[in-house]
Amino acid sequence: EPLSTTALILEDRPANLPAKPSEETQRHKLEYEEMVAAAKRREMKEAQKKKRQMKERHRQEDIISNAMIVWNNEILPQWDTMKGTRRVRDLWWQGLPPSVRGRVWSLAIGNELNITAELYKIFLCRAKEKWRSYSETSSVNDSESDGGASLADRESSLDLIKLDISRTFPSLFIFQKGGPYHDLLHSVLGAYTCYRPDIGYVQGMSFIAAVLILNLEEAEAFITFANLLNKPCQMAFFRVDHDLMLKYFAAFEIFFEENLPRLFTHFQTNNLTPDLYLIDWIFTLYSRSLPLDVACRVWDVFCRDGEESLFRTGLGILRLYEDVLLQMDFIHIAQFLSRLPDDLHTHTLFNAMAATHMLSRNRRWAQVFCALMKDGGGGNREWGERSSSSSSPALRS
Amino acid sequence: MQNNHHKERLYKILVIGDLGVGKTSIIKRYVHHNFSPNYRATIGVDFALKVLNWDQETVRLQLWDIAGQERFGNMTRVYYREAMGAFIVFDVTRPASFEAVTKWKEDLDSKLTLANGKNVATVLLANKCDQGRDVLTNNGIKMEQFCLENGFVGWYETSAKENINIDEAANCLVKHIIANENDMLQSEVLDTISPQLEKDKGGTCSSCFRSQ
Repeated sequence: EPLSTTALILEDRPANLPAKPSEETQRHKLEYEEMVAAAKRREMKEAQKKKRQMKERHRQEDIISNAMIVWNNEILPQWDTMKGTRRVRDLWWQGLPPSVRGRVWSLAIGNELNITAELYKIFLCRAKEKWRSYSETSSVNDSESDGGASLADRESSLDLIKLDISRTFPSLFIFQKGGPYHDLLHSVLGAYTCYRPDIGYVQGMSFIAAVLILNLEEAEAFITFANLLNKPCQMAFFRVDHDLMLKYFAAFEIFFEENLPRLFTHFQTNNLTPDLYLIDWIFTLYSRSLPLDVACRVWDVFCRDGEESLFRTGLGILRLYEDVLLQMDFIHIAQFLSRLPDDLHTHTLFNAMAATHMLSRNRRWAQVFCALMKDGGGGNREWGERSSSSSSPALRS
Repeated sequence: MQNNHHKERLYKILVIGDLGVGKTSIIKRYVHHNFSPNYRATIGVDFALKVLNWDQETVRLQLWDIAGQERFGNMTRVYYREAMGAFIVFDVTRPASFEAVTKWKEDLDSKLTLANGKNVATVLLANKCDQGRDVLTNNGIKMEQFCLENGFVGWYETSAKENINIDEAANCLVKHIIANENDMLQSEVLDTISPQLEKDKGGTCSSCFRSQ
């Protein structure tokens, strides 16, 4: 009911002013009633919307808790026999319940490397020793404006890890200095550089380790991290193996053209090569560019389907935004893809991914990729190579 | 299609330097006029577009924000191609990031030259100057001398956080890019002088001229 100022609308004018004509009074009354009615309708609508949302949320919660029971009671106890069944695969696609997510990820990624919790502790100790001696020597060398030792160490990862940790999911405020997971992330990454000094720390790793830490306990996170990075696609990228990365991009382009021919041509005319966006997406398994909840769902599928799903996700994103991207020029596309919209929803992305077919002339991803590996030189265009013309369309747009 | 009546210049600019020196922050400040201490690490390359009014012309700057880890060098160096200018950034609180400046500059010059054989205009940014000036004062380096020796067209103490000198540095870079472009245009005209070109010269911008 009207309070305070709105009620004034119904009042007559002050006595020192001429009175309202009666039609005007009538009109104001009608207008006022209309306003009140509109407000009521709005409120009703809001309430209905809230109710619908609550219902949807409850439905989702029910689905998750039901799924959780199924995963815990039926699937996980018989993992090896169940994991490939149609039913499990379908459930898997719908998203893993957060409470079993870490467990399923670590089972799916496996432990080919046979790393144990004890081994992790050993590498962690080594890392801590290195940190200690490093901080001692660097304080000694400080006055000499960095001695040779610390220069040699520049790429030895310790510095880089420190710099990157606080820039990993900064909006969550849990990995930064003083945050609850800061030391944990530091430990997992440090231990890895001791475990694989040949690879060391490479940017992008901090995001992957962080997602694992959010879903698994420390040693398990490390074991899964090391095994995940040991997969062929991840190895190719984290070793920064150019030739291999180019093969992945080339395979991606084959499916890109097959699935989204118009957008593919548009990207080609704008010289927007896939490395410009795939590097970020693949290095971080989408955890840097997608909202975290969506990224976790993408990881679910990655654990189910392997590397192929990473490229399928990429194509899903491009399909989802095809209409917008078709209207953009080089720089706007590049900008858009390096910072995807925050309101990207899981179900719309997954619909787009479902509509993406990973078949090219009856060949699956693995076959296409193998064929590219075999013919070696073919399609071995260096990325970023600006076709034949001397000036790139990207700079003419 | 190029439009001869509408003057517009488009330049690709690289932003390079060691990891965590503030490349992304500088770009965010320059393009979006804000600062956050919470930027995510850049993986690969990020992009931004800045549109400027410059002497009644529109200047569009394509900013390529390139990840700083050395390991990515081979991967990201192809992105140098066709750039007209660059910022090399270091963090005044981290001496090692300054030591890396010459390495970045040499790398840039060896991979990228203008059509006339000159190096691209490069401005040196001493970022995070709000947090102290350790590198600048302790080493007793004469920055002017350093810039001269290493072929920088200028240097600025910047702070993306406090918005210090970012616009000034960008204007300096754009000024040199345009000067370079005019230089090249002139020598091109001298090289290929012909009555036709002479007649058209007035109304076209450099890039229209090249595409003819």
